[in-house]
Amino acid sequence: MRTTKENLVIAISMALFVLLLSLVLAVGGLGYILPPPQVRLIASWYLRVTFNPFERLFSAMAPEGVTSIVWDFRGLDTLFETTVFYLAIIGSIAIARGVIGGHKEVDEKKLGLSLIVKSVTRISLGMILAVAASIALHGHLTPGGGFQGGASAAVAPLILLVVFSRYFIEKHGITKNTMLILRSIGLFGIGMTAFIVVIIALASGAPAFVFQNQPKTIAPTGMPFEIGGALTGGTLWFFNVFEMVAVAAGFTIIFLLLAIPEEEYKKILRLGGGEHE
Amino acid sequence: MIELETYFFTILVLSMFVNLGLALYGVLARPSLVKKIIALTILSDTANTFAIIVGYARWPSPTLPIKPPVLTNLNPSQVDILVFSQQAVDPLPQALVLTAIVIGLAVTLFLVFLTLQAYRLYGTTDVRKISKLRG
Repeated sequence: MRTTKENLVIAISMALFVLLLSLVLAVGGLGYILPPPQVRLIASWYLRVTFNPFERLFSAMAPEGVTSIVWDFRGLDTLFETTVFYLAIIGSIAIARGVIGGHKEVDEKKLGLSLIVKSVTRISLGMILAVAASIALHGHLTPGGGFQGGASAAVAPLILLVVFSRYFIEKHGITKNTMLILRSIGLFGIGMTAFIVVIIALASGAPAFVFQNQPKTIAPTGMPFEIGGALTGGTLWFFNVFEMVAVAAGFTIIFLLLAIPEEEYKKILRLGGGEHE
Repeated sequence: MIELETYFFTILVLSMFVNLGLALYGVLARPSLVKKIIALTILSDTANTFAIIVGYARWPSPTLPIKPPVLTNLNPSQVDILVFSQQAVDPLPQALVLTAIVIGLAVTLFLVFLTLQAYRLYGTTDVRKISKLRG
């Protein structure tokens, strides 16, 4: 073990190394020059077509450039990133297989933190969910989107888990299975939204792309980008909503699994863990 | 002689390289799985910051433009769109980083789960001890 003094010496020497080497580089003309005010050509193109009624064939018709890229211009990228997310959560569920937990009869009023914390949590819970919903539902207009909204919404069950208890939230319906169903609904919705333009186009016999949002040159079918003067960005709004549901439910599953008491795991491992001896 | 802006920007980039080195040291050399996971999150955060820096554009002047580059009306003119595309920063790295953060969080939770399970089974998170276990 290193002592505190040795750690301090290491930290200070690191900082001095960075400061002095930067000084040498900057004086010698080798420093990093500041980036120019103009962005690259491809970025300028993305920004120009993200909301452009004059170039409907290239535009995603949503004023938020990041969401346009995530769910329209590079939509397939995001689909496969959602797959990585899906596999990480499936892996966690597979590790915890056989551990059910939460069936013990306990008086959950005695569990958890004090009454003050519980009351404050009850008040702030609605606000957390409202902020999360606002981030996700306005994802095509302002910075935000399904991923961020879902990650914010997952904070609510995490706080409940800590402040009340695992038994409390399972009694109120936030169990692993309901979250799994909710997550499947979200993923199914993402899949359906990817195909919705194809389904509409098939009805009229026109060609269409998978993951299409706005009309393109050889595929004239597209989603309406506004409904009654309110922008939806075509499929972007639906992708954001379904992604929020999937992400929030997925994180809640992992939090629930991490909160299973140690004794229950030990019991399962002792019963079925013969291969580890 | 020395330009202060260049010096500060060099400090920024260089400290991120040092951060990268420290994170790699943590992932490769530290024996504890928990420390490895912490170092891995530092590594991914540093990589994300690098990606954000790639998309950085300098603000044209200290006083202009007064309002941030945002499209606010439903029927923008050609000039509005041109001004917007000249002032906003590159959205592509931000889009990549935004998904990378959420995926990184999910993968980190999965790794935490694996480490927890390893600790339950073997009673240690030290890779030197785990590798010597038989069976």
